[in-house]
Amino acid sequence: MKKTLLLITTVAIVLLFACKKEKESERFSLLTAHAWTSDSLLVNNSDAGGPGGMLEKFKGDAKFEKDGTGYFGKYKGTWRFAYNEENLVIESDSLQVPLTAKIVLLTGIDFKITTTFPNLLSPQNPFNIRMTFKPKQ
Amino acid sequence: MNLKIACVTLLAFSLAGNTFAQTTVKGRVSDRDTGEPLVGVYVIYGKGLGTSTDENGFYTFKTDSSRVSATWQLIGYKSVTRQINLRRGETHNIDIQLETETHLINQVVVSADRIEHRISELTVTVSVIKADFLSRNHITDAAELITKTAGIEVLDGQASIRGGSGFSYGVGSRVMALVDGLPLLSPDAGGIRWQYLPVENLSQVEIIKGASSVMYGSSALNGIINFRTTDASNIPVTKFFTEAGLYCTPRNRDWKWWSTPRVFSTLSFSHLRKEGNTDIGFTINLFTDNSYRKFNDEKLGKTSLRIKHFNKKVQGLNYGINLTAGLTDKTDFLLWGNAKDSALIQDTSSVSFLYGRFLAADPFISYGKTGRFRHDFRMRMQSSENRFPVKTKNNARTFSVYSEYQLWYRLSDVASLTAGLSETWNKINSNFFGDHNGVNLAAFTQAEMNPAERLKLVAGVRVEQSFLDSHADKPVPVFRAGINWQAADYTFLRASFGQGYRFPSIAEKHASTTLGSVTIFPNPTLRAESGWSSEAGIKQGLMLGKFTGQADLSVFYSRNKDFIEYSFGSYPDGLGFRADNIEKSRIYGAEIEFFINHTSGELANTLSSGYTFIIPVDLRSGNSGDNVIYLKYRRKHSFKLNFYTTWKRLESEITLFIRSKILNIDDVFIKPMTREAILPGFYDYWLTHNTGYFSADLSAGYNINSRLKLSLALKNATNTEYMGRPADIQPPRNISLRLSGKF
Repeated sequence: MKKTLLLITTVAIVLLFACKKEKESERFSLLTAHAWTSDSLLVNNSDAGGPGGMLEKFKGDAKFEKDGTGYFGKYKGTWRFAYNEENLVIESDSLQVPLTAKIVLLTGIDFKITTTFPNLLSPQNPFNIRMTFKPKQ
Repeated sequence: MNLKIACVTLLAFSLAGNTFAQTTVKGRVSDRDTGEPLVGVYVIYGKGLGTSTDENGFYTFKTDSSRVSATWQLIGYKSVTRQINLRRGETHNIDIQLETETHLINQVVVSADRIEHRISELTVTVSVIKADFLSRNHITDAAELITKTAGIEVLDGQASIRGGSGFSYGVGSRVMALVDGLPLLSPDAGGIRWQYLPVENLSQVEIIKGASSVMYGSSALNGIINFRTTDASNIPVTKFFTEAGLYCTPRNRDWKWWSTPRVFSTLSFSHLRKEGNTDIGFTINLFTDNSYRKFNDEKLGKTSLRIKHFNKKVQGLNYGINLTAGLTDKTDFLLWGNAKDSALIQDTSSVSFLYGRFLAADPFISYGKTGRFRHDFRMRMQSSENRFPVKTKNNARTFSVYSEYQLWYRLSDVASLTAGLSETWNKINSNFFGDHNGVNLAAFTQAEMNPAERLKLVAGVRVEQSFLDSHADKPVPVFRAGINWQAADYTFLRASFGQGYRFPSIAEKHASTTLGSVTIFPNPTLRAESGWSSEAGIKQGLMLGKFTGQADLSVFYSRNKDFIEYSFGSYPDGLGFRADNIEKSRIYGAEIEFFINHTSGELANTLSSGYTFIIPVDLRSGNSGDNVIYLKYRRKHSFKLNFYTTWKRLESEITLFIRSKILNIDDVFIKPMTREAILPGFYDYWLTHNTGYFSADLSAGYNINSRLKLSLALKNATNTEYMGRPADIQPPRNISLRLSGKF
């Protein structure tokens, strides 16, 4: 009987430590609260969201689901925060490499990220990317 | 009145008579093989009557009986019982020599609970590698030794126990390496310093499989590997070996780039002796390797001096110092030229020549009374420098001081307590990582109880906090508990749970460099990674006629989160790698190990085997669902079989290894945009060659006389072509000849 009690106690402790629920951060709540619509998609300060533009596939709606999945324009994949929630990482099978961007602004009504992307033709002059989003109406 | 005087006088004489008639038995207990005195041997000479040997192996007891049955017992040794006929009033001198217990089930290990225990009584799985396995198989590299153990793989310096780690470019080990219980991780990269581990003077290597952070702190998240060195004995021992070998042509002949033989050689010498109350040990080891890969050669020299003094006046007090120094001149291998004809030629853009030096001084003082208490204070002061003559930006100097105090105290017949404090101070000067100061403080305690016969419980807790420059990580509390029940004479059941964590290394947080076509970005925001592991197991001793041995079966389950992983991508500062808290995982599986020994006349055979099966599941976002995504750089199946036989002066050994394919690797090596730029030809090679592998090591030896031995080892006899991490082609068939001696 004593041995059974000891085993039960051990299992209970395991479960206690295993089942701790994590709290959502403010940024997580803001980003996942609703869907977003692309507002401006700029490469080197020029619009790149039009047909044939470098960011064409990011044009449209973006939804960051709470389980880490989502869609970002035409890209479907996963997202996560990094760098103490100052960075947003988007991964998709359609993207050649995961895209990590700085979160410049994130409120309930504004979402702005910036990053660079290598310019294979001119490695010294990478593309400067800026994307802004508004809540989807 | 006269009657009273008469009675008192009679009583006095009676008592005196009893006292005078007592018989004294005394003697010394020593190790049969080494002659070394054995401390703490229990001498039981009646019901409730007993004593123990002192620091010099001496014991004394007195008895009224004319005949006693005395038993001498010490953990790890066969007990001896003698019926002794005594003549009253005389002193009997009985010296006893105890023989080492040969059954593995009674092996003594120290790592699991930081005090000596029989392996069968532990609550966690511990694998033990004996020193003779190294010498028989010509193993001079600690990483090679560990990766040849069931359930463990070392990928380019990164140890992974039961799939607990992948490959993270040589930084941030989740397995703690210890030398006699003191950590040997580099303060900057947090990696294991394999090259400086004392493989030339080992008694055994103990591997704990599972989270061990309560006893050993950060980096023991996935387990520990404790390299235990040999102590001096009463009989001075001098050992040496000299070895030379060469690499054969690889299976893919297009990869052979050399026209003159690629050779390697080792020279090793060690001497251990006692001088009065002082143990002295000295080792020196020289190693050169031309390597089977171009731009991957190495020269290494290391030496150590160990001094331990037993105080004559204060019994139980000993103190001393261990000094270790090493120099290395090598070129690490990173990227191959291409898969077609240059897989064994390093891409010149990633070649970096390295001069390294290492110096460690480990003073210690210990005081205790056998079976009652023990205080230990130990330090490790280590200094190291890595100089890159070409890429001076990568130069780094480190200095660290590790101190720990540990108390073991027997609370009662059924309970004991281990408690301790530790502190680590690191100073790093580097262009590569920047200049940093780090401090790590920890306190731990563990209680051990035997509430019933054959039942043992342990529970422990640790709190640790890490500081780097002006930043303080959150204090981390971790917990462990375990139970062991001896269900029958040779049957032991166990279950355990342990939490673990690891603070990020300075390299992971601050490394900023370019290696060939690879750029690495720093991430100072990294958090500690954490997890827990649990297991249940059964250890069964085997004895059937001339066959003895043991079998061990365990099932395990672990969960991890915030594991740090290097990820290739487009970052705000460009294209490259950066460490992030990414991995969330679940690993479960089973492991079986057995050992069977058979002796018949002059023929002795040993068969041992281990098989580990794991399911390593990646639980990060988007990976839930029917399509299981496996963790990177893990294999599902790992199997090892070893057969060792001796007959008269001859001995031979064969070891077979089977490992299944690597389940997953980084996208950077697969996606079209990056794969050719980083590793030319790798993707196609991976598709056709990631199939798992089978290889065999063979060795044979001849004892020329009682002191000299000649042996031959053929490693990877099947000349199997296989890989560790991407592009890290493992050595082809290689052969070596060794002359060794023991005087």
